[in-house]
Amino acid sequence: MMRTAAVLAFVAAAGCSHAPATTAGSSSGSGAVGYVRMDELVQKHPLYEQLARYDRSIDSFDLSATAPQSARPDPNLAQRERALQQELHDAADRTTKLLDAKQQQYQQQESQAIAAALRGAGQAGPSAASIAGSVNTTAQAQRSSVSAQARRDLESLRANLARQNQAQVAAAQKALNDRADRTYRAKADELQSKESALSLKLASDDSAQRLALRTKLSSLALDDTAREDAQKQLTALDRKEADELAAQRNRDQQTLAALQSSLRTQVQHDLTAQVAAIQQRSIGALSTRQAQLAKQATAPVPGPVIQTMTINGKPQQQVNPNLPPALRARIEQLHNDYQKRFRDDAKTTIAGFEKTRADLSRRYAELHGIEAGSLRGAQAQIASLRQKRDDLYTQITAQIDREVKLIAQQRGISVVLTNVVAPAGGIDLTPDALKDIESLHQ
Amino acid sequence: MNTRFTRRRIAALAFALIAAVLATPAIGATDVTDIGSLDQGALSALPQFQAANKSLSDYGANLQKQYVARARKASQAQQQKLAAEFQGRMAEKQRQLFAPLFGKAQAAIASVASSKNLTVVIDKRIVVFGGVDITGNVRDLLTGIGDPVPPQSTPGPSRVGYVDQATIDATPKVKSATDEFNKFRQDQDKATGDKLRAAKTDADRESIYRDYRKALDDKQNQVLKPVIDSTRGVIADVAKSKNLILVVDRGNIVFGGTDITKDVTDKLK
Repeated sequence: MMRTAAVLAFVAAAGCSHAPATTAGSSSGSGAVGYVRMDELVQKHPLYEQLARYDRSIDSFDLSATAPQSARPDPNLAQRERALQQELHDAADRTTKLLDAKQQQYQQQESQAIAAALRGAGQAGPSAASIAGSVNTTAQAQRSSVSAQARRDLESLRANLARQNQAQVAAAQKALNDRADRTYRAKADELQSKESALSLKLASDDSAQRLALRTKLSSLALDDTAREDAQKQLTALDRKEADELAAQRNRDQQTLAALQSSLRTQVQHDLTAQVAAIQQRSIGALSTRQAQLAKQATAPVPGPVIQTMTINGKPQQQVNPNLPPALRARIEQLHNDYQKRFRDDAKTTIAGFEKTRADLSRRYAELHGIEAGSLRGAQAQIASLRQKRDDLYTQITAQIDREVKLIAQQRGISVVLTNVVAPAGGIDLTPDALKDIESLHQ
Repeated sequence: MNTRFTRRRIAALAFALIAAVLATPAIGATDVTDIGSLDQGALSALPQFQAANKSLSDYGANLQKQYVARARKASQAQQQKLAAEFQGRMAEKQRQLFAPLFGKAQAAIASVASSKNLTVVIDKRIVVFGGVDITGNVRDLLTGIGDPVPPQSTPGPSRVGYVDQATIDATPKVKSATDEFNKFRQDQDKATGDKLRAAKTDADRESIYRDYRKALDDKQNQVLKPVIDSTRGVIADVAKSKNLILVVDRGNIVFGGTDITKDVTDKLK
């Protein structure tokens, strides 16, 4: 009787141990050690497609290191640029005309002043009319030269402004597009994560009911009516989850569509504002330059230079030697004073121009700063994607771990490992786990 | 009377034993009790490890400043020499800071493993289920008063084996295949990056990325997979010959286990 009991106990114990013969014996106990190929299981998980999308996005960012464009360029940009250039051109014309008028006025005043000086000196030499005529000719030539130089300066400034503005508008457009793109993608990622979480939650919430139904269906003793009923319940469960998820997706799509529309409007609005600001700054710069030229025009034009002589092959201006020394000295003094004032004024004009150019360079650098910020934004986006990807992976593996744990417990396996280099005798739980994971799709 | 009583007791005991075993089928199979696991991340969060990390980080920042100051006036050759010197100094500092901590941690792990009759302790990250988690015990020893005392005996032979993947990767066949694949990948990365930057639409980018993945997968199947399969076959053969259950990478073994790296590399030659 005792022997019988011992045999019964041994048989019972042996019957309950599901460990395969391959892993029995030795110092490790019976060897009830299992393993799973986690990569294969992850690939079969319902959320794997989402994970793969993250991987693709990260790879694309890593490979191209550029953020893709989502917002479209402003369709009126070319027209705005043309309008801006036309305004610059008109301003340049107005400045040139004003300069001509001022110089004409000054020339008349100067001629009258010289004639008065000659009359006052009682000079019998060259007549006042003759000197005035000579002054007039020289002044005319100088006026033309100054006017041409001013026109060239203005043209150069206008062209420079146009180039700078074009670059600024393009950079602003890119920065705005990038910002909108980041906002859109961040929202899309957020909604996708929520959808994934919902999908997981639905599957988890219903897992007990699903398992019970599947267990019921696997029973051979089930009659046809009960089987059909259980099958219907299972189908209804699947449909309920699918419907909830689809409804959520629809809502998310609508949210994204609204966001995209809003972002486009916002980009358009911001771009219009920035173009207007750029245009305003350009007009301001041109007005400043125009004012400088106007000031220059009101200053005395070159003094009463009587003759232009060629000395050593170079044209040089000299006061008429036939004039009395005192008068000549007076005219020379007037001429030198004018030259000095002209140089001072020219320095002021150049300094003003340099200031305008420095201001443009600074604004240009600021826009480059925006681009650098955009790049930093792209890197932050990659980091955010990686974080989301890791979170999702953790979610997926946590669910797989739960499924594997259940299987291991059912099969009486003590330890289950993953990342196994070579399974020599452990029990492969991957096929069983795959079935459970795949059932989550149903 | 005594005999009948004895028979009844024996029958009752046998019944109780059968009932107990039938009621808890897992118990009969839960007889692998010599595999432990450790959450190394939890240990690295201990104050002494955090302090060492902070010290190393500060030292590295200071070293970086010194390097920049000296490298500014140096030629390219001198800069390389300088970089090697500073890397050596950094490694030495790391050794100074962490070697005593690792020594204590190893003693604590060995002590706990010995007290629980574990022949191997595995990184918790690869344990899906089961095993004896000794993280709490090791943490208690490391945060307690006094240094942990290492056990007198060495762990018994384990049926969990391990290989040093880096050593296997350095064997001629594996290295040659890996180098070929890496070169291919670098070329693909560059070409694909250029294409992606020039792409106008999301559809274009998707298509370029698909082609890129396919090219890599094809090359991997052609060059790497045969070598990996063959290497795994060799590892499995060695493991079976030594009556091991599983083989994992050395990086996942915290304590104990059976090292079969040399047997595998000998066979791979």
